[in-house]
Amino acid sequence: MNIQDNYLKNKKNIFFSDNKNIQNYRETLINIFENDRFDKKNNESLKNINLKNFIDFKYKYLIPEETSVINNNQENSYSIVSVNGQCSSFKDDKIEITKILDEDYNDFSKNNTIENNDHFVNLNSLFLNSGFKIVIKKNNNIKIKISNIITDDDLTIFQKNNYICEEGSSLNLIEEYENKNNSTSNILNVIKLEKNSQLNHFLIQDNSPNHNLIITSHSSCKKDSTYTQKVYNFSEGYVRNFHYSELIEANSEVDLQGIFFLKDNNTSNNKTFVKHLAEDCKSNQVYKGILNDRSKATYFSNTHVDQVAQKTEGYQLSKGILLSDNASYFSKPELKIYADDVKCSHGSTIGPIDENAIFYLRSRGMSKIAATKILISSFINEELTSIDNEHMSEIIQKKLVRYLSKVK
Amino acid sequence: MFLEIKNLSVKIENKKILKSLNLNINKGEVHAIMGPNGSGKSTLANVLAGKEDYEILNGKINFKDNDLFDLNIEERAQEGMFLAFQYPVEIPGVNITPFLHSAINSKRKRLNEDEIDNLSFAKLLKSKASDLGINIDMLKRSVNTGFSGGEKKRYEILQMSILNPDLAILDETDSGLDIDALKIVTDGVNKLKTKDNSFLIITHYQKLLDYIKPDYVHVMVNGSIVKSGSCEIAAEIEKDGFQKFQ
Repeated sequence: MNIQDNYLKNKKNIFFSDNKNIQNYRETLINIFENDRFDKKNNESLKNINLKNFIDFKYKYLIPEETSVINNNQENSYSIVSVNGQCSSFKDDKIEITKILDEDYNDFSKNNTIENNDHFVNLNSLFLNSGFKIVIKKNNNIKIKISNIITDDDLTIFQKNNYICEEGSSLNLIEEYENKNNSTSNILNVIKLEKNSQLNHFLIQDNSPNHNLIITSHSSCKKDSTYTQKVYNFSEGYVRNFHYSELIEANSEVDLQGIFFLKDNNTSNNKTFVKHLAEDCKSNQVYKGILNDRSKATYFSNTHVDQVAQKTEGYQLSKGILLSDNASYFSKPELKIYADDVKCSHGSTIGPIDENAIFYLRSRGMSKIAATKILISSFINEELTSIDNEHMSEIIQKKLVRYLSKVK
Repeated sequence: MFLEIKNLSVKIENKKILKSLNLNINKGEVHAIMGPNGSGKSTLANVLAGKEDYEILNGKINFKDNDLFDLNIEERAQEGMFLAFQYPVEIPGVNITPFLHSAINSKRKRLNEDEIDNLSFAKLLKSKASDLGINIDMLKRSVNTGFSGGEKKRYEILQMSILNPDLAILDETDSGLDIDALKIVTDGVNKLKTKDNSFLIITHYQKLLDYIKPDYVHVMVNGSIVKSGSCEIAAEIEKDGFQKFQ
């Protein structure tokens, strides 16, 4: 079924389909699909995937019977269970959680940082069936853990979430994606950091082989704000992490980091994109991957420095270890600099595990497999030791041990 | 015989490096191999330790009644062979203490001995480090990472003293060491010497042999041992160079 027919058939289950403006916008998206030649060479969102499987899909969505927000009794700490992309409304003097509204949708549709031929984002905007908005109120310091649950097989979740950190607020956000069923989640997080706010965002991805996770985020940072995102991808199913960030006011910072652990025939596509639109801002983009068997990965990193963004510091780094001759990792760093007083760098190192290091460790009595595992752990040591949340550190360590147990 | 190398020929990437090399080392003996650059000294050390880049064309090596070629790299280490590297590898993110603890326990496991617990190991490490003038803070760092040349060599000797090998091969341990560091390193080696273990010392210069007295000195040229004898050979080399052996 083509996109238009699929959309029309399921229109009544799709958010905002009675809103005329949104309807018009969606028609332009349908036109993009119809006119695009799906040129894999020039479209980063199409690398390593068979888009047909994602475009020609059977739409299925179930409204959850129950969702919950629990205040953990610990001060300023909230635990949320998002079911099929939905979340109950909640309000206190620190946070407010509501459904996503037409105006939030419209606000995002005007964004032009994400390319209009990113078909996964376009599918999200077309078939939107879930999502929520969380506002952290001014000057509050909050911790939120969100468990994303999908109830049934064959569901197609198209979810848009808005996170707003008001002036002076601080949010520590942990999102867990651990789904075992055969379904697809296409999620777009729109994140706004107001003046002097801070968001530390951790995404733990550990889905089963039949679950596809497409996650895109767009963050914008105002004066003196900081957005840090750390992605830990242990999924056995397809995962796409595309994360965009705009530093729109002076002295703001963004740090986009990710680690992925692939095996079997799994694929992961990754992209980070930082737009420096104001002076004295800093950005850091670091992705590391470990690939075994026949797994494949891509990582595109981009720093765009606008001509007004003097005194920019922008760093990119991509590193990969290939544990098998059949694994592949394609990495492409890109810098576009239009200002003249900047410090920017990029680097990419991908290769098999260092044989000299293996020999050194084995010559001290360690088995080859133990030496390999110790070198993998050391490759991501910096990322692991920088986790300052003990509970999360334990979770990540357990998942790492599980991944390493399959390394032969 | 403790180590017996018979008629060993080895090549790498179509280049023959060792040519019908013979060498015997008994328990409690210290042997030194001297030779010019490119004579195959480090190749011999690497082949003994089990590095897999080399192709064995001919020959046999027996070590403590084992056919050495039947043992892989780690089994050789667990059987008591130790190579102090010429260029110790930097391994960022791998902390020295747990790495060495794991190494010693893998050896003890093979010898059916009880594993050494954390506390006993910490004490052992601290005392050996102190003997070698190694600062305790260094033990909190990653393996060889950010170490100076001298620190790396000292750390190799620390590993050697912890693992207490039956046969230690020192591959140009003296290179890059100033006189004070050389004294510390050679003191460490001398302290470790007993009637039950043996040393194979590879070096260019006599200087090292002023501090560690070998029982035998061998001259290696173009992949073969061309002369063996006492310490006097080292003095001869120091005076006249390797030219006359080539």
